[in-house]
Amino acid sequence: MDPTLIRTDRRPELAGTRSMPWPRYRDGVVDADPGSSPEANEVSPEGRVWTSEQVAAVAPTPRAVAAAEPLATTVRWISLGSDARALWGRCRGSGAEPYDTVVDHVGVAWRCTCPSRKLPCKHALALLLLWVRGGVPEAISPAPVQRWIDARDQRAGGARPDRAGEAPAPAGDHDEAEPVDDAAAPPDRDELDRSRNERLARMLEGLTELDRWLEDRMRTGLADPALARYDTWDRLAARLVDARAGSLANRVRRLAGLVGASPDWHAEVLAELGLLHLVARAGRRVPELPGPLADAVAVVAGWQVRQADVLAGVPETDEWLVAGRSDTREDRIEVRRWWLRGTSTGRWAMLLSFAAYQQSLDDSFVLGTVVHADLHRYPGGSLRALAGVRHADPLPFVVAAGGPLAVPIATACDEIGAVVASEPWLERFPATVLATPSVLDGRWVLGDASGSLPLTGPDRALATLLAASGGRPVPVTIEWSPWGVQPLTVHLADRVLDIGPRADPTFVGAA
Amino acid sequence: MTVGPTVRRDGGGTVNALDEYWDDLVTTALLGTDRRDPPPPPDGPVADLVADALRPDGAARMLAAVAAVAAVRRAAFVPLPAADPLRPPPGDARPWCSPAAVSTWRIVVREWPVLEDEWVLTVVEQGLCLPPDALVELLQRHRSDAVRRARVTLAAGPAARWVCEHVPALGAPSPRTAPVEAVTSLPELPVPPELHDLLAADAHTFARRLGAGFAAGRYGQPHRAVLMNLVARCRPAVLLDAAESMESTGVGLALALADEARLRHRMLTELGRPTPDLRADPSVRRPGRRP
Repeated sequence: MDPTLIRTDRRPELAGTRSMPWPRYRDGVVDADPGSSPEANEVSPEGRVWTSEQVAAVAPTPRAVAAAEPLATTVRWISLGSDARALWGRCRGSGAEPYDTVVDHVGVAWRCTCPSRKLPCKHALALLLLWVRGGVPEAISPAPVQRWIDARDQRAGGARPDRAGEAPAPAGDHDEAEPVDDAAAPPDRDELDRSRNERLARMLEGLTELDRWLEDRMRTGLADPALARYDTWDRLAARLVDARAGSLANRVRRLAGLVGASPDWHAEVLAELGLLHLVARAGRRVPELPGPLADAVAVVAGWQVRQADVLAGVPETDEWLVAGRSDTREDRIEVRRWWLRGTSTGRWAMLLSFAAYQQSLDDSFVLGTVVHADLHRYPGGSLRALAGVRHADPLPFVVAAGGPLAVPIATACDEIGAVVASEPWLERFPATVLATPSVLDGRWVLGDASGSLPLTGPDRALATLLAASGGRPVPVTIEWSPWGVQPLTVHLADRVLDIGPRADPTFVGAA
Repeated sequence: MTVGPTVRRDGGGTVNALDEYWDDLVTTALLGTDRRDPPPPPDGPVADLVADALRPDGAARMLAAVAAVAAVRRAAFVPLPAADPLRPPPGDARPWCSPAAVSTWRIVVREWPVLEDEWVLTVVEQGLCLPPDALVELLQRHRSDAVRRARVTLAAGPAARWVCEHVPALGAPSPRTAPVEAVTSLPELPVPPELHDLLAADAHTFARRLGAGFAAGRYGQPHRAVLMNLVARCRPAVLLDAAESMESTGVGLALALADEARLRHRMLTELGRPTPDLRADPSVRRPGRRP
C-alpha cells in the first residue's frame, strides 16, 4: 500500500482528526502529506469563521454536504458552543443517544460519536455549516472538548497552534487516521482509555436497550404482527450497530429470518430471544465475570478486537487437519467457515472469511490436508482464530483406521454439549464421527450403536453421504447448530468428499 | 446437570419436566405476559435460577426463565436412539475412478460437455465405477435423459439404484427404457464430409491435414464447432500429435483446439484407456521430422 495514501473510511478510536494544513481529498483517499499541497495553509486562519465553500471543500463528497444540510439547524442540536479553536454540540440522530460532535476549526479536525465511516461525517459538516451561518454561540469549551484539543496539541509535539494563535503545525503531522509509528508517536494512554470507556458505556446502553426490547416482546407476545415485519428487527439491529454491538446486530437480523420460516418458528425464535437476553445480561456484568468468560461475552456482544491484537497473541502451533468447510449467507454477505482440528491436541478452530457481492471467499485451504501452521485465537479461548505463519506446504491427511480422530455419536454429543454449556450463545460447532447414514422415524439420521443425530442439508449432500457409506460406517465431519446437524465432509481412504453447503457461485466471485 | 425425571416421548425422543415447562413457556410467549402469567418453573436448578433473579414483573421473569431453559436445552444435547442400519447395496468389485478423473470430469462438464458421454462410457469400458460424488451429480444432471441416465446407472452399478431408492429426488421422473445401442455407443456429432476421413485417420495424416489447413487459412471461427466435434471423435491415438501440430500454427483457433485435444487425451489417460503416444515409438514417422 502506498504509505502516502490512507482511506478516509478507516475508523480508529478517534477517527476523523486531521492536522493542518488542509488535506486534499480525491476519490475517497486523503493525501497524508498535505505539506506539498500548493493550497496548504491558505485557509482557516485562527479565529475566523469559515465560508460555506470552505465547508464544502472538506466534505468527502458533495452528497455529504447535502446530507448535512437538514442537520444544520439549531433545533437538531443541544449544548452548542464555539470558541476561537473549536465547535461542539450534541446532534439528535437516529440513535438513542445524541451524537457528540467536535470540530477543531483551526487545526481542521473533527470527531463524532456517530458510526459513520465518512470523514468528516454529516454531523461535523452540519456543525460547521451552522457555525458559518452564525448559529453556534460562543461559549467556554467543556472539559471533554478541551481535553481533546490538548491531546491533539500534545501529539503534535507542541507545534500545534495554541489558543493564543501560533503558527500552524508542520505538514505530515500524524493523527489517528494515519499509520502511526509507535516508536515515534506512542499512543495517548488517557485518550485511548477515554475512548474505550466511551465505547463501553455506549455498548452497555445498547445492551440495556436490547433487554428492554426483549421484555417488551415477552409482554406483547410472539403472535404480535409487528414481529413479521423485518423493519421491527432492523430498527433494533440499527440501534445495536449504533451501540457498537455489531455481532448482536447480525444475530438479530438472522433471527428475523426465523420468523415464519418453519412450523416451530415460535419455539426457535423464543430460544434465540432467551439467549440474546443471556448475552445482554452477561455483557452488562463483564467486569464481574471470570477472565476467559468475560472475554468470550465481550466478543459475542460485539466488542471489536483488532486482527493485529489477535495476531500479536501467543500462537497455537499444530498440524491442523482441514476437516470441514461450510458457507452460509448472512444478510448481504457470504460467510465461509473453515473448521480445523489440531492433530496433536484434538482442539477445534474456526477460520472465517467474508465476501460481499462478487468478492472472493478464502480458498487457501484444501479439505483433507494437514497444514503445519500457527493459529491465533480470539480472546476467551474462542473457537474463532486467525491463521498465522504456515510452516510447511499442506500434506494429504492419511486416514487411519476409524477415520481422522473420529468419535462415536454419543461422545460427539457430550463434546458439543459441554461446549454449549460453557457458551450457550454458540451457534455452530463441529465434530468428526464414525457413523452410518440411516433413517429413523422417516427422517435421515447419522448413527452408530451409541445413538443417532438427525441430519439436515440438501438432498445432494445426503445422497453423496449415503453413496459413500454404502450402508457401512464412514468418518464424517459434521457441523452442529441449534437448527440441526449438517454433514460437511466424508473422509475416505483415497479421497475427501466436500458435501458442505456452498456459496452461491453467482454471488461470490472467483478467487 | 439434572433437569428432572425423563420419560419416553412417543416419537422415540425423551421428554422431561423441563421439556413440558418449555412447551408452557412457548404457549405463554405466543400470547404475551400481558395476557397470561408466566408458568411456574418445575422444582430444580432452573427454578432456583429464576427465583434467584428476583425479577419485578412477569415479562422479566419470563425472559429469565426462557434464557435459562433455552441454554439448558441446547447444552443437554443427547443423541436419538440408534437407528437400524440400512441394508447395503449388492457388492460391486469395480474400483472407483480416481479423484483426478473426477476433477477432469468436472472441467469437462464446465468447459466441453460433449465429452461427458465418452467419459462415462470409458469408465464402464475400463471396468471402473463412479465414485459417490460423481454418481449423485450425474444422476441429478441426467434425471430426464433416459440414455445418459442408463449409462450412469451402468457406470455406477448397484449403488445407483440403491441411492435412488433411498433418495427419491434423484430418481427418474418417469420410468423409460433406452436402447442398448444408444447407451453403449457415443452419439454421432456433425462433421462435414470433407473431414470425415480424418475420424479414422492415423496420427500423421490427421496432424498434417489439420496443420496444413490452418496454415493455409482454410479454417476460421465458422469451422470451430465442427473441428471441435472432430477432435471429440477422432481416434484417441492422434490427439497429442494433433495438439502439437495445431499449436505449431500459432493460430488462435488452432491453439484452442489443441487445448481441447489435450483435455480429451488427459481424460482418457486418467481413466486408464490406452492412448498410445506415438512420439515414444521411434518407428513411427512424424510430420516435419526425418525418419
